Amino acid sequence: MRILIVEDEPDLLASLAQALREEGYAVDTADNGDDGLFNAEGTDYDAIVLDVMLPGIDGWEILKRLRETKKTPVLMLTARDQTRDRVRGLDTGADDYVVKPFDLEEIFARLRAIIRRSANKTTNEIEIGDVKIDTAARNVFLKDKPVELTAREYSLVEFLALHRGEVVTRTQLYEHLFDENESSLSNLLDVHVSNVRKKLGAEFIVTRRGHGYCIE
Amino acid sequence: MKIFKSIKWRLQIWYGIILTFTIVAGIAASYQMERSRQLASVDRTLHVQFQNLMNVLHPPRPHGGLPPEMQPPEEPMPGFPQEFRLPKEEVNSFFENTGVVGYYYVIWSHDGKELMRSTNAPTDLIAPNSWNPAQMSHGESQARDILQKHGDNYELIVSIRRERQDYDILIGHSILSELQELRRYLIKQIVNGLIILFAGLFVGHLLISSAIRPINSISDAAVKISAGDLAQRISIAETESELGQLAAVLNSTFARLETAFAQQKQFASDAAHELRTPVSVILTQTQTALNRERDAADYKQTVEACQRAARRMRKLIESLLELARLDAGQEILNRLNFDFSKTISDCAELVQPLADERNVKIISELSSLEITGDPERLAQVVTNLLTNAIQYNKAGGEVRVKLDSQNSLAILKISDTGTGISPADLPRVFERFYRADKSRTGGGNAGLGLSICKAIVEAHGGTIEVSSEENVGTTFTVRLPI
Repeated sequence: MRILIVEDEPDLLASLAQALREEGYAVDTADNGDDGLFNAEGTDYDAIVLDVMLPGIDGWEILKRLRETKKTPVLMLTARDQTRDRVRGLDTGADDYVVKPFDLEEIFARLRAIIRRSANKTTNEIEIGDVKIDTAARNVFLKDKPVELTAREYSLVEFLALHRGEVVTRTQLYEHLFDENESSLSNLLDVHVSNVRKKLGAEFIVTRRGHGYCIE
Repeated sequence: MKIFKSIKWRLQIWYGIILTFTIVAGIAASYQMERSRQLASVDRTLHVQFQNLMNVLHPPRPHGGLPPEMQPPEEPMPGFPQEFRLPKEEVNSFFENTGVVGYYYVIWSHDGKELMRSTNAPTDLIAPNSWNPAQMSHGESQARDILQKHGDNYELIVSIRRERQDYDILIGHSILSELQELRRYLIKQIVNGLIILFAGLFVGHLLISSAIRPINSISDAAVKISAGDLAQRISIAETESELGQLAAVLNSTFARLETAFAQQKQFASDAAHELRTPVSVILTQTQTALNRERDAADYKQTVEACQRAARRMRKLIESLLELARLDAGQEILNRLNFDFSKTISDCAELVQPLADERNVKIISELSSLEITGDPERLAQVVTNLLTNAIQYNKAGGEVRVKLDSQNSLAILKISDTGTGISPADLPRVFERFYRADKSRTGGGNAGLGLSICKAIVEAHGGTIEVSSEENVGTTFTVRLPI
């Protein structure tokens, strides 16, 4: 899962990015409106955390312009808690709205919720054969026994599970699992796929030669 | 009793009392006039009767144009003993036959002896006090013209002096009918008075009610406002009346209250808004740090970030408190005489390192000037304006500081050669929490600096103005009374 954070307060941006990375997300950051809009339009993020008050283009404008081309789920962060601000945010196309100051747990839960909704899932649990994925606790079970996965391996499983039945290209996977600062070594993905197959069974992830990967 | 505390009823009661007094006084006066009119008419008829009687007693004699003293002495009245000859028959027939009913007469000699009386005269009549004919001046024939009331009768007593006869005549007349007429008149007046009183009370009630009605609408509006509906206004139909003017004054007060409330609300919300970001920093920093074990460097970073956030909050709280104190009009100013130019050059020295850092040149042009005020607060204003002028300047730019006096005003101009302020932002730069660049990265600048400058300058009775041209520069002008 790859997330963009647009926030101009450097300390807040740094800690949010760190916390989300530690949650297993690939995180890109922008500290002003122009960079934020550029990133949001150029990359298929799984979600965007967007502050309203920004130098340059403000959050409302980014959201408006982004909605012309993309349906990326957007979580607005704002210091304004008046109803009309929330209404405006949701009407402009925001998927959710969090008022500062917030707890990290709440941001995590809301991000999971908007990502889940954008994948048309209603619960945090995904069952694929003998494999059960709890996207809230970020746990994977095989025949009801917990399986130890690294954060990156979990993200791979979750992303494929959320796009179950679709063929996901290697480019897509790179885009969603790694942030802009990581060098996309082409065999890194193969390593993760082979590790997951070892832990959850060789048939769990199917390779479509020339296309990508798929969970059926 | 509530009814007696109501202004409306008190007015009504006082109005009723005054109206009653007026009507009673009016009736009394008109009764009195009517009574004197009646009595005057009685008096007149008594005198007429008296003349008639005198004509009978002393029939005028024709005289050949001789003056009275040359005329022959009067003949004693025929048929009257002791030289006083009253034609009794004629007099009686005069009273009884002339159809003048209700008149009676008595004649006494001047020493009190009754000489003659009509049959209808009351028996209890007393002769008037004896009198001295010599007191009468020569030539006078009548004296002591007295009108007196005797029971239901009015009586006229006249003393007569003739050549040989001095006597008193009393002519009386019953005034029963006049008294009855007066009583009827009084009753009529009282009935009229009562009608006027009730009509007056009714009209008064209408007038008072209509005069009081605006008060009710004022109090209705005030009740709604005190219940929190600050947008409520008194509807004013008549703007000229005193209550209309009061309502207009109240309406403008309400409008100012509403504005002040809205400003206060906006201020509180802005203040809360400014505090939200640093609190978010502290929350996310600490929560991230506590999510797992970290090494010392990570913890140090977190603590440093929290410290920055706390400093930002401290600065904000100090600014807010300062503004609140200035708003409340508390006397926080020291009043001293000091050299303003010295203060300004001290401030320029203070910000010099910042200017050096940005490669900005400060050019001062200060004439020595004594002013009265709070040196520390004014230094705060100058430092703030200088810092802005440096921060928003271009690299290698200039800040010009000029102080001189004009018309007993100290005029301080601080100009920069920076990017300027856009015409849209210019009128709002002194607004609280207003930031032209919307960026928070200016070291915790919450947009209160210029608001505080304005409040301090205004507390000194001065003014602060800004003019700006984009890409040329901005000039702040402070005017202070010397």
